[in-house]
Order: sequence, then structure tokens, then C-alpha cells
Amino acid sequence: MTWVALAVNILFVLFYAPLMDGIERQVRARLQCRKGPPITQTWWDILKLLRRPPVAPEKAVRPIFNLAPLVAFAALLTAFILVPTLLPHSITFWGDLILVIYLMNSATLALVFGGFASQNPYAHIGADREVNIFLVEELALAFVIVTLAIVNGSLTIEKLFPVQLKLSVAIALIAFVVLVYIASARIPFDIPEAEPEIVEGALIEYSGSQLAFAKYAIYLKRLLLFSLLLNFVLPRNGVVRPLLFVIALPILSIIYASIEAYCGRYRVTEAIRLLKRISIVTMISWVIAIAGW
Amino acid sequence: MNQAILWPVYLSVIGAVLGWLIPRKKPAAFIANLLTAFASLAICIVAYRGFFSELHFGLRLFNAGAPLNLLNSVIFHVDKLSAVFLAIIGVLGFCASIYGLSYLGHYDEEKLALYAFHYPLFILSMYLVVVSWNLIWFIVFWELMTLFSQFLVVCERSERAIKAGYKYFCMTKAGADFLLLAVVFVTLKAVGLHADYGSLSKLLPVYFAEHEGAFAAITIALLIGACVKAAVVPLHSWLPDAHPEAPSNVSALLSGVMIKMPIYLMFRFFLTFAPVSATVGLIIMVLAALTLLFGVMYALIQTDSKRLLAFSSVEQIGYITLGLGAGMWLIAMGHESLGAIALVAALFHTANHALYKGLLFLVAGSVLFRTGTRLLDRLGRLFSKMPLTAVAALVGTLSIAGIPPLNGFVSKWMLYSTTLMQPQTSLFGAIALVVSALTAAVFVKFFTTIFTQPPEKELDVKEVPFTMWAPQMLLALLCITFGIFPFLSLRPLISTVNSLGIALSRSDLSVYPCVVIPGTANLAPIVVIALIFIITLVLAIAIGKVQAKPVWTCGNRDMLNLRLAASAYYQRFRKEFGFIYEFGTAVQNLIEGLWQQVRLICESYERLSYRLNAMLTGAVIILLLMVILLGGKAL
Repeated sequence: MTWVALAVNILFVLFYAPLMDGIERQVRARLQCRKGPPITQTWWDILKLLRRPPVAPEKAVRPIFNLAPLVAFAALLTAFILVPTLLPHSITFWGDLILVIYLMNSATLALVFGGFASQNPYAHIGADREVNIFLVEELALAFVIVTLAIVNGSLTIEKLFPVQLKLSVAIALIAFVVLVYIASARIPFDIPEAEPEIVEGALIEYSGSQLAFAKYAIYLKRLLLFSLLLNFVLPRNGVVRPLLFVIALPILSIIYASIEAYCGRYRVTEAIRLLKRISIVTMISWVIAIAGW
Repeated sequence: MNQAILWPVYLSVIGAVLGWLIPRKKPAAFIANLLTAFASLAICIVAYRGFFSELHFGLRLFNAGAPLNLLNSVIFHVDKLSAVFLAIIGVLGFCASIYGLSYLGHYDEEKLALYAFHYPLFILSMYLVVVSWNLIWFIVFWELMTLFSQFLVVCERSERAIKAGYKYFCMTKAGADFLLLAVVFVTLKAVGLHADYGSLSKLLPVYFAEHEGAFAAITIALLIGACVKAAVVPLHSWLPDAHPEAPSNVSALLSGVMIKMPIYLMFRFFLTFAPVSATVGLIIMVLAALTLLFGVMYALIQTDSKRLLAFSSVEQIGYITLGLGAGMWLIAMGHESLGAIALVAALFHTANHALYKGLLFLVAGSVLFRTGTRLLDRLGRLFSKMPLTAVAALVGTLSIAGIPPLNGFVSKWMLYSTTLMQPQTSLFGAIALVVSALTAAVFVKFFTTIFTQPPEKELDVKEVPFTMWAPQMLLALLCITFGIFPFLSLRPLISTVNSLGIALSRSDLSVYPCVVIPGTANLAPIVVIALIFIITLVLAIAIGKVQAKPVWTCGNRDMLNLRLAASAYYQRFRKEFGFIYEFGTAVQNLIEGLWQQVRLICESYERLSYRLNAMLTGAVIILLLMVILLGGKAL
């Protein structure tokens, strides 16, 4: 039964992740008074890319360059068997939250390695920026995790969600909402990929099916972060859960995309400064959690 | 079969003597390395036996009279705790010695003179530190270890090496004097002259229970001594200077093994000789957090490959001591099983760090051997030229960054899952979590600048010889094995922790590839790792062949052959968190200032002492003061 449910979850995220991007593109287009592409457009893009042969730079370090997007994709897809999405089933064990975080980190690092392996200076800049942001993100995230762990006395996703609302958790949750926005590299924070400036950064040399998987990995990461966020608030069991989940995802998309539509890009320093402030907020939530509220 | 304890001694002494006698130093170094490799294998055998049954061997040396009679006999004893550390010495010693066979080839004859004699003795002294079963002999071997390793650090005889070696010797000698104080105090006051570890572990806890002041004094002395040798942060400054200067296989041993000796001492003392104390645990945790943070932040700014690795060693010691401190704290607070897991994590991380840091130092050595430089900016794109070294380096990089399913992840996982949930230890767990990301960043830089980035100018090098890449591959394989089958090393480690009197049964832990879980889980997390591999593999096959085209230069006609300088990595991040470096510099300046003041006082006393009368008067006054302060009561 669990295996079937897991398969359903995986198929759902595989299907929905590109669709979600389509929805967000549509939302942004409408807010900017454009007609915008249909919401299936991202799917068509991916299918088109999958048919194209991949090309690697001549001097690139091939094994790393070729494997990087695949590892990122695999790690993120695997994370979905640990995080409940549509159906509340998942593989749970003691402290699986840490593994989820590390799988996300592995995906980020894989793309960074891929960028550095590509020999393109723009990719180096992109990968370097990626790590810059990743480091401060981790600082903020660590204290969110600690707050949750202290309040619940557990690091297991099954016991963590839905969360019991205390002051400290509420603060951590707000910080986490912002972190989700930043970690999914949306517009003021799309610094590593900065299209007009360093042309997709770490992904610049990828093409064809490799690019498709790299993009897919990014969409999966966004969906994974949304799922984590929704697990905080949605009921764990019952028939309503899949229903609520399916309704909540587009709502989140609309909220996040509409913020995106009104922003320019931050410089790296600005983003790091903002993340530093968020880290301080999460540290405060940790202190409050220690105090027992 | 207890004679087996002596095999490594014979082999390495023969190695040292041959290394000294053979007039041509290249063959001498070769033979010394070869015999040390055999000695290391013998150490492995001793360690293996020690896991199953305790080995004991007594030796009567002289028949001296009263003041020296405590040195009359030396007792070697291997129990499970020593066996863990012996295994580390054995495995890494073997790899480093085999590696040395070719590596030392590019040194000049006269530089090898020091190496050939001292290298076998260095391994031997580390071995003896671990097997000695008596505190007095422990101190003797400890000092010898410092002495021999110091000669290996200065082996290149450059000015920088000599300065670093001198600093290393002075600092660790001063630290060892604190240890000596503690040992003298213990032997004289508490247990009498002939106490071996067995009777110490019976007598000392009783003594400490009655004399709390004595416990505090001895603990402080011991902590200072151990922290200097382990390079725990306020006392770490010798390590980043000394370790890079030694030949690379010796650096691997210094970072992989020697700085673990104080960890052995702390396990021995704080868990068997003394009552497990929460305060000491807390102090160790605070020191560990400082070590983690400063070690990794300074590793982030290094542009010299071996110096970067040395700073990262400082940081990794933080993880180990964090496990130890958290274990002690948790046990003292009554969370026995969590504490036991933290201790196992500390031991496991000790072994893991030995494996991957040894590996990375050997890799840095291989790169140095072929290209002749340690500066990251001079290197680049060695992946295609030194593929075996590069693959080994990638494994080392990923496991030190804690990427599942490699061994670094397993021990870090165990640390997080024990520390994060207790409010009092959660801060340290969070710091460890952040530092883990920083470590990943440090080693992304290490790997990409050497192996993937375009070089400043094309390097024409080839792969290192077999005796150099084989040890690297062996260590890389061990990293993968311990990540996928952690129970291989966890089984002996759990029984080790049990032998220290802390209850943790094998059935308390469920062990899967890359995760170790207290209690049982419903589904094997093996799926997680299997899935990553399967998906990657299937996709890689599905994608098939990849065409090659020139780098896309955005329409520009010039080839963009730019590289990101090693000093430019993560510049924004370092700038925003510059206050850490500012603090570090401020502390450095403060110490420098204090040192200047002390020097002034010493100089003025020296000037004073040219006049005999004044000097004698001064000496008498100082003696008088010492008698009043120290001896008043005892006399």
C-alpha cells in the first residue's frame, strides 16, 4: 500500500513540477499585462529539450559535467519519498529531516560542480554566487530546524508535521516562508542564474536533455520546498488532505509569482544581507524555543 | 601471542637504524618506508586482535634504584579503545608509507637524512603512546612523538619549515608540560607510583569523588595539554604552519593520526579515570564550537592547498570533540543512550577524518609531486591528466562535505541527531550543521581550482606512479565502504563504548547505508540511496553520448580562458561575515602585544642579570617567593 502511495506521490510531483512553473509564468504574464504562454508551455519546453542531443564543451571535465544535472535531479526526486506530498505516505525514520536537507544540498552542490566543470567563466561566476547564497541560507535554515527540533523533541518528519503552534515556531515559520522564496531562486534572488547578466550562470553550457534535467531539478526543488511548507499547516491524514494539497499549491504559486512579478534583481551582497537578517530572526526563534514558548 | 605487541617495535626500530646507517639517503628512505609499511601492517594485526581479546605484555627494562624504579618495567596493553586508535594508525601509516616510496624520490639526498631516521620512529612513538599502560611511560612516549614529528616537519630545511617546526615544538612542549603536571599530581597524590591504567580506573574516580579541587586542577591541566596537541581553537595556531611544511605523507599522518592522540587521551581520562562530568562536557563542547567556526572560516580564505587542508583539520577536530563533549554531557544528564551514540559518533568521525583527510593530503602531495606547486591559482584542469588522483580527490571532497552515502555523512548524521534535540546542546548542533555547509564550500574550492578550472597556463603532467595512486584509491574505497556499510566500523565502536562502561547494545541502533538510527524504522532507508543511484544511472544511459563543441563565448570571438582566482571564491560571503576575521585578527594582535610585553620584562631581567649581585638577589627573591607560595604547606 505504502509503495503504491509513494509511486502516486512521485508521479504527481513529476507531473506537477513543470506545470507549476507554467502556472507561475501565466500569473507573472497577467500581472505584467501580457498574454503569456499556456500553462502547459514548460512541459512542452522540457519535452522539446529531451529530444535534442546534449552538447558539452570540448575541454569540459566530462564525467562531472555530464553527471551533475542527473545527480541533482535524482537527489531531489528521491527527497520526495521522504516528504509526504499529495498522499500522506512517506518513508519515515528517525531524523529523516536532516537527510532531506542534505539531499537538497547535494543537488545544489551537484549543479555547482557542473558549473565549475564546464570551463565557461560565466558558469564559474554563477556557481560561485550559488555557493555564496547557499551558505547564508544554511545558516538561517539550521536555526529553523533547531527550533522545530526543540519544540517537538524530534527530527522526524512524521512527528514534526503538522506543527504545534507556539510563538517560537510561528516566528520560525515566517522566516521559513521567506527562506522558501529565496531558496527557490525566484526573481530578486535569481542571482546564480541571472539570465540577462551571466546568461543562466552555472547552466550556461548545458543543452538538450541535460538542460532539461537541470531545469526539471530546479522545478522539483521549488515543489519540494512548497511541500515542506504545506506540511507545516495541512492536516496529516484524511481525505481532505490531497484535496487541500492540490488547492493550496496553486495558491502558493500565485502568491510567490506575484511577488516575483514586481521585483528587479538583488545584487549578491544585498541578498546576503537580507539572509543575515533572516538568520537573526531564526536565532531569536531558537532562543524563544529554549525559553519554552 | 601477546608477543605480537612487539612486532611493530622491532620492525620500525630496524627501519630507523637502517635509515640511519645506509649512507645513500634515497635507498635509506625507501627501506625506512618499506619497513614502516610492514610495521603498520603489524599494528593493524595488533589492533584486530585487540578487538577480540585484551593483549597484555610486560617488559622489565633495568634494575634501577629508588628514584628511577618507576621506570623499571614497561607494560603494554591493548584494549578496545586502544585498538580503535591502533587501527587508525595502522591503516593510515600503511598508506602513507607506501605512498612515501615514490613520493620521497623528488627530495634531495641531504634532506632525506632526517626523514629516513625519524619517520619509522614517529610511527613507533604514536603506537607506543596508545599501547602504553602506565601514565609515566605515556608521557615519555608523548614527548618522543612531539620530538620525532618535529624533525619531520623541518625535514625540508627551508626557513619557513624551520620556523614552523620551532613554533610547533615550543607550543606542544608547553602543552605537554601541563600534561606532565597532571600526571605527576595523579601519581604522587592519588594513586602511588606503580599504578597502571587498570588500577587508575578503580582508584581515581574514588579519589576524585572526595577531592573536587584536585579534579578541577587536573582536568584543566589535561584539557590544556590535550587541546594544544589536538589544535583546539585558542591553541591551534601551530597546526596550519607546521602540517603543510612536512612531506605530504607525513602531513597526512600528522593531520590524520597524530592530532587524534589527544582525543585518545581524553576518552581514556574523562570516561574511565574520572566520573563523567557535565561541566567538563560543556567546556569541551564550547571549545569544539569555537574550533568548528574559526577552523572553517579560516580554511575558506586559504589559497595554498596544504594550508587549506590543515585549517580544515582544525575544524574537523571540532566535530570530534563536539561528539565527545556532547556524549559526556548527555550521559551526565541521564540521556545514556543518546550520549553513547554521540561518543560512537566521535570515534567514528575520528576514523573517518583519518581516512579522508589522509586521502586529501596524499592528493595534495601528488599534485605537488607532479606540478611542483601548492598554490591553488597555479593549478587547474588536472582531471583529465591525473584521472585516478582526481577521482580519489572527488571521493575525499564529497565525504568531507558530508554528502550521502559517504562516511562523513554517517558520523555527522549521528552527531546532529544526538545534539539537535536537547535545548542545551542544540546551539552546538546548529553550528555543526552550518559548518558542514561551509566545509562543502571549502572543498568545492579545493577540488575545482585544482581539477576542473582552466589553468593559468597549460600544465603538462601525467598520472602519479602506482605506489602513489594505489594508497589514495585504497583510502577512497574505505571512505565509500564505511559510508555504505557503516556497521563494519560501528560494531567494533559500539563494543568499544561498551567497554568504557557505557551501555549501548547493537540492537539499539538500526544501521542502514548512510544512516544510523536509534530504535527501529519501518522501511529500510536503503531505498533512498538505491534510488539516487538507479535514477542517475538510468538517465545517464538514456542520454548516451554527448557531443563536443567549443565553449560558448556569447558571440565573442576571443576564447574566454578566464579562471576564478582562489582568493575570489565566496568573496561576498566572506565580506559580509568579515567580523569573524576581524575578531580573529584582534585576538591575534592582543596576544602579540602581550608577548611583546613579556619579552620586554624578560629582556630587562636579562640586562639586570649581567650584574652578578642583582641577579643573585633576584634569584633568591624568586626562590623565596616560590617556597612561600608552593612549598609552605607541604614543608
